[in-house]
Amino acid sequence: MSQPTPEVYEQGKGMDAHNQVMREIRSRKEASYDPHEPTRVWLDEDNTPTGVKQSLTIILNTGGCRWARAGGCTMCGYVAESVDGGSVSHEALMNQIDVCLEHERENGDEPADLIKIYTSGSFLDEREVGAETRRAIADTFADRERMVVESLPDFVDREKIGDFTQHGVDTDVAIGLETATDRVRHDCVNKYFDFADFEDACAEAAAADEEAGATADAGIKAYLLMKPPFLTESEAVEDMISSVERCAAVEGCHTVSMNPCNVQRYTMVDDLYFNDGYRPPWLWSVAHVLEETADIDAIVVSDPVGHGSDRGPHNCQECDDLVQKAIKDFDLRQDPSVFEQVSCECERTWEVVMERERSFNQPLTR
Amino acid sequence: MTEYFEVHERDGAARVGELRLDFEAVAGDADSDTDSNPNSVPDRTPPQTTPALVDDVLEDAGSLWSAEREFPEGDESALTVLPHRSFPGGTADEVQDSFAVDYPDVEFPSVAVVSSDHVDDHGTDAYAVSDVQSFTGHGAGLVEAVVNVREEIPTDTALFFSGVATPRNVALLAYAGVDLFDRTAAIVKGIEGRYLTTDEAYFLEDLEELPCSCPACQQPREEFTREDCVDHNVNALEAELGIVRRRIRDGRLRDYVEGQARQDQWLTAAMRELDSQWGYLEERTPILRDAQIDAATEDTLRRVEIQRYADRVTTRYQNRFKNPLVLVPCSAAKPYSESQSHRQFHDAIQWRAHLVSMTSPIGVVPQELETTYPAQHYDTVVTGRWSEDEKQFVSEVLRRYLERNEYPKIIAHVPNEGYRDIVGRVEEELDLDITYTVNEHPTDDESLANLSEALSGELKYSKREREHNTVRAIADYLLGDGAGDDLFEDIQTTSRYPKIQVRDREDTQLATMVPQYGTLSFTLAGARRWVDSDAPVKRVEIDGFVPHGSVLAPGVVEADEEIRVGDEVVVEGPKAFGVGRAEMFGREMAESSRGIAAEIRHVEEK
Repeated sequence: MSQPTPEVYEQGKGMDAHNQVMREIRSRKEASYDPHEPTRVWLDEDNTPTGVKQSLTIILNTGGCRWARAGGCTMCGYVAESVDGGSVSHEALMNQIDVCLEHERENGDEPADLIKIYTSGSFLDEREVGAETRRAIADTFADRERMVVESLPDFVDREKIGDFTQHGVDTDVAIGLETATDRVRHDCVNKYFDFADFEDACAEAAAADEEAGATADAGIKAYLLMKPPFLTESEAVEDMISSVERCAAVEGCHTVSMNPCNVQRYTMVDDLYFNDGYRPPWLWSVAHVLEETADIDAIVVSDPVGHGSDRGPHNCQECDDLVQKAIKDFDLRQDPSVFEQVSCECERTWEVVMERERSFNQPLTR
Repeated sequence: MTEYFEVHERDGAARVGELRLDFEAVAGDADSDTDSNPNSVPDRTPPQTTPALVDDVLEDAGSLWSAEREFPEGDESALTVLPHRSFPGGTADEVQDSFAVDYPDVEFPSVAVVSSDHVDDHGTDAYAVSDVQSFTGHGAGLVEAVVNVREEIPTDTALFFSGVATPRNVALLAYAGVDLFDRTAAIVKGIEGRYLTTDEAYFLEDLEELPCSCPACQQPREEFTREDCVDHNVNALEAELGIVRRRIRDGRLRDYVEGQARQDQWLTAAMRELDSQWGYLEERTPILRDAQIDAATEDTLRRVEIQRYADRVTTRYQNRFKNPLVLVPCSAAKPYSESQSHRQFHDAIQWRAHLVSMTSPIGVVPQELETTYPAQHYDTVVTGRWSEDEKQFVSEVLRRYLERNEYPKIIAHVPNEGYRDIVGRVEEELDLDITYTVNEHPTDDESLANLSEALSGELKYSKREREHNTVRAIADYLLGDGAGDDLFEDIQTTSRYPKIQVRDREDTQLATMVPQYGTLSFTLAGARRWVDSDAPVKRVEIDGFVPHGSVLAPGVVEADEEIRVGDEVVVEGPKAFGVGRAEMFGREMAESSRGIAAEIRHVEEK
């Protein structure tokens, strides 16, 4: 964790270019958001190390991602959903939490066992969410079984995790690693930390786990991105298989969430997509990676967003819902035989694309 | 600069080239992996002659986006795509600039990847274009991309489009200037259940019968699978490429594309957009051909050959006769003077007037240039119906012609359909007073009598004047405005039209008229006179050697940029002075590292 702030990361020609372009792209959107409302909140169910749980997912509006303000990741449009400029106050953040609890009461039968908090930034970055707010939120959810909070690896330390585990809540830090391949993370995603930083964060989580003893578990949930811009379908698949394997091999990382890229507005990916230079991955690719990595020692899940649409991961339209269902089924059961139940003529097309797509003829299909 | 690719035939921007790989090694490889690769098609000829599919000889050293790559060792039997970072369509300039890859010089056949809007000469034998999927399917986009890439990479390198060629579009792509393709799109479409022909991309499930008799289609419809469809698509693509190569060799690809492009709107759009790229297409279009031009569509009017003739006749040519002008309709027989109708016109005129024929699609043809390409090399569809485009084109050329050339009297001996309308427009625009002599038909007795009557009292010009003015007019046309007077002010002519020989006062031969193209071929004395004249010289500067037969491109030091294929050129170096005919255009001679630049007719040591 040699480079603690995004400002310091901003170095190197490729990154300058990516940032310059992304700043321009993002500037096309003019919108402002109420700091007293969360960006989004929804109920779902999730596979955790202790089984499938009802979950409440909160996307907290914390003033947005600092890195995105510098330019940021090539596929990420969430920054556009954050308040302009400065940070969000303790009171406003707690108002957002109240809105989420209200949502849960209205839409859920009982309090969710699992609380997931994302910020489009780093929940553990104290410039985004101060220590006071973090502890207040930890207190709010002290009666739940498990929490997931999102953070860049730099901000993961055992004391901050301890704020949650002290209540006996199992705590995971979700890290948007995107890929274990530094080259792809830097040049295609424009995200500037290394796999080594992720490993360090996992070590912090492992230490927090140790310190919490029997009262609670702590660990890391790695988020991977399938098919950032500039990769062919087969390169993307290969990158994911090796990334899942490498993440699962790190102590402290018990879950890998491997998610296909979708085309969000006001991103570099959107510009490529608009010019026929990008196609989101095939759902067959997602299924293939899950199948190939099914025997490793970690939970591997995937939650394709916008499946079946042109802007989301898709096959041929005919089989999108079936394959999506198999993926969600796999998420809960971790049984690769679910993929034997689905087949479609377009699987051969996917195979041909895997074999023949090159960076100088992509995308081969729409 | 390339050692592994050589252009042998040119037809506009299209070329027949040779991939100079070690094909014995390729054949060996192909035998060994036909079993393992389900998509390999056995018994294909290696892609020695382009435009061709290069799948079997392409080695991809890989993308640097996904991984560091070991630099390839390369291989004489393969085109190796050097490690690259491709920029798909929509990649911002800043990203392309900062992630650009350096391609080191290598000793083996190599391919660099460029994007259509960021192109550099990387010294490789071929160039793959990274954003092909973005502009294929869009006429203007395709043309902008091809022209942009072609104008940056050396002319003797091959242009490679991966993942887009289909039986329907490949003729247009080759016509635009693409040399190398692959089977990828045909395979992908086939496996998706699209049955490709030169006219369509049919849904296989919609076909009651297979509209093809290639080997893959030799089976009952119900047994024909998507895998068979892949084989058929590749067969159809190969067959179309065979036609394309034949057409290029014949100099008739444009005629084919005018028809084939009708099978998809964007292809026609691309052809028309390319016609607007005058600089790109004109430079690559020969000034003469053996082949006929089929004037069968409205697009023929926009052909470089047609536009160039109209341009030169109205900016370079000048009328030197003092006699009245007679405008007459063209004839089906060529040259016109040998036709029935023109013999009858001639009998009435008796060398008392300067004869200019009006025609679609050529415009106007002065009698001196009736043999000059393409005036006797086109065949039009005769219906007697004129389209508004044709009328506009011919009247525009006629107007420009009459603005430049003055006559004491103008007689229009033209039929009423179309011709009369055109002459009338120009008469009004230029405020002329034109005598019309046709009653019912130009060759009826009354009309011919009117024509003769209109010229009564006019003096005949001599055979000498006629022949002198003919070779001067051809010199104007070929070499530039005023060249006829600069070179041939004081000459004598011998032999019979159309094989006129041009001699100086001392009887030394300077040039001969070439009847089949209406051009001039110079002797050494003629070439010297050209060099000494004020007329612009199409000069090829060579190294210190004496060429015999051909001048090869590596021997060319510099070449005039105005040189076109078929042009008469002066070839000069420290050791030799010669004259011959250009086989490449000027920039190509200077840039190429292989191939014949010019054929020498006469040469002498210095």
